[in-house]
Amino acid sequence: MGRRDRNGRRERVWRGVGVSDGAAVGRVLRVHGGAAGNVYRATLEEAEVRREIRRFHAAVRLSRRQLLAIKRRAEQLLGAEHAYIFDAHLLMLEDRKLIDDVEGHIRDERANAEWAVKVVTDKLLAVYAEIKDDYLRERSSDIEDVMRRLLVALAGDERAQRLTDDAILVADELLPSAVADLDFSRVRAVASDAGGWTSHAAIIARGLGIPAVVGLRDLFRHARTGDEIAVDAVTGEVTLRPSAETAARVRETAGRLRSTSSAADAATARDARAPARTTDGVEIVLRANVELPAEYEGVSRFGARGIGLFRSEFLYAQHGGAPGEDEQVAAYAELARVAGADGARVRLFDLGGDKLAPAAQEAERNPALGLRAIRLCLARGDMLRTQVRAVLRAAARGKLDLVLPMISDVSEVRAVRRVVEEERANLRREGTEAGDVGVGAMIEVPSAVLVADRLAREVDFFSLGTNDLVQYTLAVDRSNGEVADWFRTLHPAVLASISRTVAAAADANIPVVVCGEMAGTPAYAVVLLGLGARDLSMTATAIPRVRRALEGVDAAGATEIARECLQASGAGEAEEIVRARFAERWGALFPPKSLPAPKGEGYNFPEIGHTVSTSS
Amino acid sequence: MIERRVHVVNRLGLHARAAAKLVRAAGAFPCAIRLERADGGASADAKSILSVLMLAAARGTELKVTADGKDEGRAVEAVCELIQSGFGED
Repeated sequence: MGRRDRNGRRERVWRGVGVSDGAAVGRVLRVHGGAAGNVYRATLEEAEVRREIRRFHAAVRLSRRQLLAIKRRAEQLLGAEHAYIFDAHLLMLEDRKLIDDVEGHIRDERANAEWAVKVVTDKLLAVYAEIKDDYLRERSSDIEDVMRRLLVALAGDERAQRLTDDAILVADELLPSAVADLDFSRVRAVASDAGGWTSHAAIIARGLGIPAVVGLRDLFRHARTGDEIAVDAVTGEVTLRPSAETAARVRETAGRLRSTSSAADAATARDARAPARTTDGVEIVLRANVELPAEYEGVSRFGARGIGLFRSEFLYAQHGGAPGEDEQVAAYAELARVAGADGARVRLFDLGGDKLAPAAQEAERNPALGLRAIRLCLARGDMLRTQVRAVLRAAARGKLDLVLPMISDVSEVRAVRRVVEEERANLRREGTEAGDVGVGAMIEVPSAVLVADRLAREVDFFSLGTNDLVQYTLAVDRSNGEVADWFRTLHPAVLASISRTVAAAADANIPVVVCGEMAGTPAYAVVLLGLGARDLSMTATAIPRVRRALEGVDAAGATEIARECLQASGAGEAEEIVRARFAERWGALFPPKSLPAPKGEGYNFPEIGHTVSTSS
Repeated sequence: MIERRVHVVNRLGLHARAAAKLVRAAGAFPCAIRLERADGGASADAKSILSVLMLAAARGTELKVTADGKDEGRAVEAVCELIQSGFGED
């Protein structure tokens, strides 16, 4: 049976991962894929060969123009770090080997250009498929991308996609060039077979606030351009040829999400920085975490009270190394302008570990515990001084603070404070204007939690980094799937660390802002409220849903639940408390899917098996 | 002809961005420049990104850099310097 669309065709549901929130109903627009699939083979007359080679060169030139335009757009939208890939595409397109081989094939086989392009690139791809290194092997998608671009250019189609207003992009893999090619103001949603949280598609969709679901395996093969499709990125469900009921349900979700954000917009209109207010009148400040320039626009759109955390590593990655002082001044001044009166908190380069490490550095045995973050800043004094000077100079033009990553001892805070004062004096001597800059410590290492009361006397504020706090407190590498079951945000040890840090800040009368994925997840945000947090910073697009959650609960109830969790015997019990109490108190606000899922079999350690009998 | 050996040090190896930088750098010299895996595997024209990517040079791979022709000394130096610096990434 199953539900059917209005033409009597059965609807089909795919489940993927929602990587950018929202929902939409629209019509499928398939991108890529098709052109490369069906390449025909024509045999040319001897006399036609030269013309065919000219046609190939014209396609190369057209592709080159497109790529240059895309590269410029991507640089503006995402920064050079994500635009670099198009430079590689340009080089591939102009690669002597590719051009010679294609020309050779056209001449020797008297083949049409499409066929020659396909044969030559297929050969390249076959060689790539043999490469042992996973990361390098995946680069074959870049070659495929260039091949498809050439084939489309040969087909004489400029692919200036005439998008209808209800287009929903469906792709096997949303290649970077396809993303940058499209007029995204008209795209309602994105659905792709491949991809994860960190794929280009996900980053761009989040930056532009377009709903996106990835990891749909074989949707692309079944979808036809023009088919009706419903995408719900909240549940990760994508329905092809939805029944009237399904379409209505997704439209309702879309409407609800829109009204939440327009409620946020309305709040923005009343007071650009209105805090969220619980039903019993407790106010929580909501700020934005920012990394890419594409995210700047969301700061005001989603009603953020300034920028709670700027991950300055982006500048490092974009520049391919530590950027110069003037370049940094410009970036921080722009950041301060975007943040407005509430200012922006610039975290010093948090490099090393899973992120970028300096060039000549040997591979560390244990990078998470190695020379990273504040340790690296202090080890590379020039880099630290340049960044401090840039922030001081930019602070003359807007409100900025410094955040010190991975503080584990008060000596690190004192060392940076010394640098700040020395550089302030140097700037004064040089006659360069410097602004006031507060200095805050990231609390994300157990030692910092345990001495938080003493740290609190030496800094202007705390930033609680929950991602690393969970990782370091529970000794679990969050990027290692083997131990994913041990990464428990609600572990009583994590909750106690948060509670203790918040209390230490309150005693010292300094603010504490919680930044990290926990703050951007509605259910966890309510737990944070219960632990005493009153200042949260998250991806700007998460602000409306967190605001909605906080405004639907009472702080007194949240506090009671948090206390109960703190007393729990372990992570599983704390999660169970959250599931049960949230359902009792605020069932409508927190459907079961929005709460932490019970951990599967793994947590009961089934692999241990049964006791082995020694007598057998 | 000049020859030098160098190790790939950056975490991701000679991936697309690194290869793009290398090919841009090599393209600035008039001489022929080749890269060869010291383990006797593939060799590549340093001015062709497709060929450079095909080396599949992951971190730790030892490469033989050779240049032949005008400016060969500076060319080898520039290419080795870039590889040794980890392409300014990690």
